[in-house]
Amino acid sequence: MSVSRRSFLSLGSLTALGVAVQNMVSFPSTAYAAETLPERHVLNRLTWGARPQDVETIQQIGIEAYIDWQLNPETIDDPLVDAFVGSRPAMLMPYDELVRVARDNYDFVLRAALWGRIFRAAYSERQLFERMVEFWTDHLNIPIADLLVEKVIDDREVIRKHALGSFRDLLFASAQSPAMLYYLNNADSSKDHPNENYAREIMELHSLGVDGGYTEDDVVAVARAFTGWTVSDRGEFYFDAEDHDMDEKIILGHNLPAGRGIEDGLQVLDILIRHPSTARFISAKLARRFIADTPPDSIVESAAQVFTDSSGDIRAVMRPLLTSPEFMASAGQKFRRPLDAIVAMMRTLTPGLDIDNPDPIAYTLEGMGQMPYFWHPPNGYPEPAGAWINTNGILERWNAAMRFALAGDGYFEGAALNIDLVVPQAGTVGELVDAAIASVLGTEITSEDRDQLIAYVSRDANPDQPLTEDLRRTKLPGLVGVLMASPYFQWI
Amino acid sequence: MPISRRNFLKSAGVAGIVGLGQQLFPSWMPRMAFAQDDRTDRDVLVVIFQRGGMDGLNAIIPYAEGSLYYDKRPTIAIAEPNGSDSSIIDLNGFFGLHPALRPLKDIYDANALTIIHGAGSPNPSRSHFDAIEYMERGIPGDKITGTGWITRHLTSAPWQNDSPFRAVGMGTLVPASFRGTASTLALRSIADFHLAGRQDQLVGIRKTLSSLYSIQQPTDLLSNQAAGIFNTIDLLAQLSATEYIPSKDVVYPETEFGMGLRQVAQLIKAGVGLEVAAVDIGGWDTHDDQGGTDGQFAGLLDELAQGLAAFYFDLEGYMQDVTVVSMSEFGRTASENASGGTDHGRASAMFVMGGGASGGVHANWNGLSDSALDEGDLAVTTDYRDILSEILTKRVNNSALDQIFPGYTPNMPGIINSR
Repeated sequence: MSVSRRSFLSLGSLTALGVAVQNMVSFPSTAYAAETLPERHVLNRLTWGARPQDVETIQQIGIEAYIDWQLNPETIDDPLVDAFVGSRPAMLMPYDELVRVARDNYDFVLRAALWGRIFRAAYSERQLFERMVEFWTDHLNIPIADLLVEKVIDDREVIRKHALGSFRDLLFASAQSPAMLYYLNNADSSKDHPNENYAREIMELHSLGVDGGYTEDDVVAVARAFTGWTVSDRGEFYFDAEDHDMDEKIILGHNLPAGRGIEDGLQVLDILIRHPSTARFISAKLARRFIADTPPDSIVESAAQVFTDSSGDIRAVMRPLLTSPEFMASAGQKFRRPLDAIVAMMRTLTPGLDIDNPDPIAYTLEGMGQMPYFWHPPNGYPEPAGAWINTNGILERWNAAMRFALAGDGYFEGAALNIDLVVPQAGTVGELVDAAIASVLGTEITSEDRDQLIAYVSRDANPDQPLTEDLRRTKLPGLVGVLMASPYFQWI
Repeated sequence: MPISRRNFLKSAGVAGIVGLGQQLFPSWMPRMAFAQDDRTDRDVLVVIFQRGGMDGLNAIIPYAEGSLYYDKRPTIAIAEPNGSDSSIIDLNGFFGLHPALRPLKDIYDANALTIIHGAGSPNPSRSHFDAIEYMERGIPGDKITGTGWITRHLTSAPWQNDSPFRAVGMGTLVPASFRGTASTLALRSIADFHLAGRQDQLVGIRKTLSSLYSIQQPTDLLSNQAAGIFNTIDLLAQLSATEYIPSKDVVYPETEFGMGLRQVAQLIKAGVGLEVAAVDIGGWDTHDDQGGTDGQFAGLLDELAQGLAAFYFDLEGYMQDVTVVSMSEFGRTASENASGGTDHGRASAMFVMGGGASGGVHANWNGLSDSALDEGDLAVTTDYRDILSEILTKRVNNSALDQIFPGYTPNMPGIINSR
């Protein structure tokens, strides 16, 4: 039983907007970055934004050791997240209990899920793992509004369990996840009335890709193979043999003999997972997320090879991807999506930021078009920069940056900021600007842009002007806000 | 260093001006009109996209098909016209409106609403995402072209217009039909569009942001957006200085769709250079519990009809210069499924409302017999580009169809009035 279920796309008015097919907008291959240090580049991409302690860590242990460390999240202590989850029992409840709690207090559970997504991105030490969770959350998208309990469990038992594990385990778990069975209507699919929704999307979006070589006949046959895959009254996967189509099926050239039951669907999953189109599709998608919206073919091909050789070991695919020359040469080519940008602002301000009420952060993300778990179509929030660069989105982003930077003066409801803990003391205007650039961006900027920042702080545009306490208090929030709103911060 | 710079303040026009009331108007805007006589020789085009695939057969119902319709839809079919509120509203003795579309009946009767049945894309993809992309980019089957059909219309038009309101997508993201180089405004709320922060710092913040964003390569797109933002902030500040009161006490649905249409109406009346607006209404993917007279699908039709009717009557006096056209990526299976819903199909129906509409139902109708259906679905007998082409040439005065729909020769049905 789902708490309040409707058909998908029911809120799709905003969210169904295009950009389903990748690479529709081509961007210049040159990057928006001055001189990004390799360490900074790795942090920009593997984490949700670099905090001072992250910079220290990678400088101490080196890039390769840092990547290996992050690729093994089970070895990383995560005290803040442990405490967070421990204080929100809903996140660990079994199905029956969660249904009861959600029935009485839907908002409580929804808040725990939404804030949990943002909190873990911002404060987990397992940063790459949280990036992988985000990737698979989009890849196996399930909107939360009508499937609250099921999505909370899907996040725990499907996405998080396998985010750096085996793609095979991930897809099998997803295919039997009540959230997915309800969302894409397979729970209602029977031999007399097969529903094609899941059959189509598992091939188009979860495995082969739309050009992966399947036909409309394959869609129908896959739908028949999955008939009877449904959800029990106890909220668990259940195979209903009565509803299963036991006739012979031909799928992607494979013959599924008559007279079988659950084996049909299991074999379909195996066929899809082993198909070369899947290796390529998943690898290309990972490369678009971690390297560039239009990644070089070379890295996609080599990642696909690793995918095939390792039978879909996600960790094995990620390591060469993140240590490749293509990755290292890609600084400045990714545009931070709204959730990335907001969390990066939070992490930049971490030394002085205190979040008391997370709701305003969620509303900010809603205004930017990326409320966690609220994308309705099954393709997940769009990846390419072009989907996010529009007037409204950029203004909302600027305003989030300004409000965060002014949180110390009450401009961000529910957040408090001691900005002096973010940017160290400075003697002159020039020193303040340089300290702010180092704290917020960690990269060089052009001398013209530095001049503009100096002109903002100093009426005479004089870098040597002594910095009074009053000037610092008046100008530092705006300076930090402008840096977090700048193109340098958006293109990583 | 891949960054070069240009005179941003010049391109931003009004970037140095903050505050209300006394500023100079930018050159592209003849005046802040708020006046009705600010006419051009072309219609404002309002494009409605019904995301998810609208079940055209239960919206504009071919009830005269009898059992060919009713037998396919045992639980979701609507009763033949009998005058009751739960029966079909007859249009022409063959087709009728779902009762939830009642608000459109007066407009239909005034010959200001044309319905095109059996309309859709020639590409048979039943993937939402492919079908939406193809439809919005206007080149079905082509995945290479990066621009949308509206973008190509705007760039190929014989006139140009620097207004930041030339192309407006209501919502947080810009639809694929606007994708490309023409700058488009994604507008969520007229009232909330301003820069946040300390008032005493706004001038300096704005100046600094302008200069940081005055870059050419590689992020020219971002730079253009920034310039547009400052122009837009100034103009929307003027618009929102007075409360918008729709004419005739019409009430728009309090949904994203309704509020989107309401703000489009406000922009049209303000005469700020709007040429094309896009408003979305989602939720049409009714795989289960679609409902008949009541329920999910009826609720969607109600929202659609209430919104369109409010827009029409709010803009009385303007509608001869406005054409509204709707589309959906595909229709749905002719037969209902086991879940009381319908799956992805082929043709759906389009609405044309306003200046261009000549009234009636246009359909190259072959019926619902098995041989007339396309693999069980209503066949596409009118290419949606035929309708758009006729609107573009007759109402919007752009006949560069070879650029807007490259490789396609439209077969215009002659159902749009010339201006």
